[in-house]
Amino acid sequence: MSAIELTEDTGRSRPSLTLWVGVVLVGLHVFIALLTVVWTPYDPLGMTGGRLEAPSWAHWAGTDRLGRDFFTQIMLGSQIALVVGAGAVAIGGAIGVSLGILAAFASRWLDDALAATLDILIAFPTLLIAMLVVAASDEASLFTAILAIGLALSAIVARLTRILAKRVLLLDYITAARTSGTSWPGIVVTHVLPNIWPTLAVNFALQFGLAAIAEASLSYLGLGAPPPNASWGHLLQEAQGTVYTAPIGAFAPGLALVILVVGINLLADGLRDFADPTRSARR
Amino acid sequence: MSNLVDIGNLSVQAGNRTLLDNVSLSIAPGERVGLIGESGSGKSLTALAAIGLLAPGLTASGSVQLAGQQVIGAQDRTLMPLRGTVTATVFQEPLTALDPLLPVGRQIAEPLRRRLRRDGRGPSRAELDAKVQTLLTQVALPDPATRSRRYPHELSGGQRQRVAIAMALACRPQLLIADEPTTALDVTTQAEILRLLAKLVADNGMALLFISHDLPVVARVVDRVVVMQHGVVVETGPVAEVFSAPRHDYTRSLVAAARSFDRALEGVA
Ligand SMILES: Nc1ncnc2c1ncn2[C@@H]1O[C@H](COP(=O)(O)OP(=O)(O)O)[C@@H](O)[C@H]1O
Ligand SMILES: [Mg+2]
Repeated sequence: MSAIELTEDTGRSRPSLTLWVGVVLVGLHVFIALLTVVWTPYDPLGMTGGRLEAPSWAHWAGTDRLGRDFFTQIMLGSQIALVVGAGAVAIGGAIGVSLGILAAFASRWLDDALAATLDILIAFPTLLIAMLVVAASDEASLFTAILAIGLALSAIVARLTRILAKRVLLLDYITAARTSGTSWPGIVVTHVLPNIWPTLAVNFALQFGLAAIAEASLSYLGLGAPPPNASWGHLLQEAQGTVYTAPIGAFAPGLALVILVVGINLLADGLRDFADPTRSARR
Repeated sequence: MSNLVDIGNLSVQAGNRTLLDNVSLSIAPGERVGLIGESGSGKSLTALAAIGLLAPGLTASGSVQLAGQQVIGAQDRTLMPLRGTVTATVFQEPLTALDPLLPVGRQIAEPLRRRLRRDGRGPSRAELDAKVQTLLTQVALPDPATRSRRYPHELSGGQRQRVAIAMALACRPQLLIADEPTTALDVTTQAEILRLLAKLVADNGMALLFISHDLPVVARVVDRVVVMQHGVVVETGPVAEVFSAPRHDYTRSLVAAARSFDRALEGVA
């Protein structure tokens, strides 16, 4: 039980190398995403070179079928990936944590019903749920992509929150708080959320990576943010037809996505060691 | 004045297993009652039943009145205002009874703020801080100003139990329930905490329900004892009487064990 083990381990462990590598990789994307708000190497929509040019000093990742600078588009893709990731985690986190806490405190039958529903939802692939949500809305937009992925993630977050909260609710200090007349909302805010937060935070980081992949997949299927939003998934899809003649078109956006997801996973692992008391105590 | 706690023929069942069988126990204002019995005899269950905090899987029958309010079958909402005003509880293991992620001063401030609000005062932060320091001084925690910022794991077992007692005192309850408050502590600390509890109960005119499996410990702080075995009350009476002339076999064995332990100690000394 995390909270108890923390007490056996005085100081928390130092941020690890894993954490730093994660911070650098994710930081790179954050930097690029912020940079593209004010500056890009070329006009993303302008025909600034020949068609399907190979990488050169002028065009680091070459040009696309319409002669647009490919590197610029990949840079803009960071923005989409981060916005969708953050938005989806915010929505999935808010809904998931609320539902999970509700289930943990609910009467037996409501809890069972919620738990069963969540198990069923989790059995559906994230992407499938997201596709259903997009299909149910009028047209694909950046917002529907965020909402769809957020809803899909919320089931996973809810299930984790429910399990973590139930575990904390069994601990002595909850009984102690109740004997002194603390209300249920007071117990959630003062004791439950702070004690499950380290584990949740790590999970949110992992969900962020999943959301970025889901966004690329939706866009690849044409269900994500429509052009001119430069999603990596969209770039991949465009490059599909020319993958033999200009492989860089498929390779570069894929690499950008991999760097982001690997970075986030390393960050999550590092956070786990750093922030989750159970890990540092078990070592 | 009516009793703070009135338990009449309380039975508690877990499925078809009987955990408490026809337990009766009452505590008047200012009265100090000891609840003795070996581990697993149902002492903690009795105390939890008194404040309506039995685990969801357990069913209770009989009557439990807390300050005149029927507890059995009552909504949690009705009981919440009674917990912390009529009763406050100190548990056996202060390490797990304190939230590991909150500095101890803030944990004491929680029930304190609630009580002050109830008394119609929204305390300022400074007032709350000052009162936390006062409480920590009352429970004789050394260097309260620094220690109130410490986390539970940064304090010793005895210091943690003092914090837990301060939390209970912050409620200013009419009845203090102490469930084996010294069991997890070493012998010297045990004696200190026991003295402290006795003094605080006397100073504040609180009633006390002192739970222990240790007869000599109980005898030092209470007027009356209730002896439990296997979920049944086997004997009850003034502490001196039960001690000098135990009527039930089980009580006799407890007394004999305590005497021989004393003799053994004297032999060593
Ligand atoms: N929630 C529960 N469900 C089932 N059995 C329980 C529960 N709580 C306590 N018991 C059982 O009730 C008996 C009395 O427990 P307790 O009151 O904690 O004993 P003690 O006198 O040591 O405080 C024990 O046998 C224990 O296993
Ligand atoms: Mg007990």
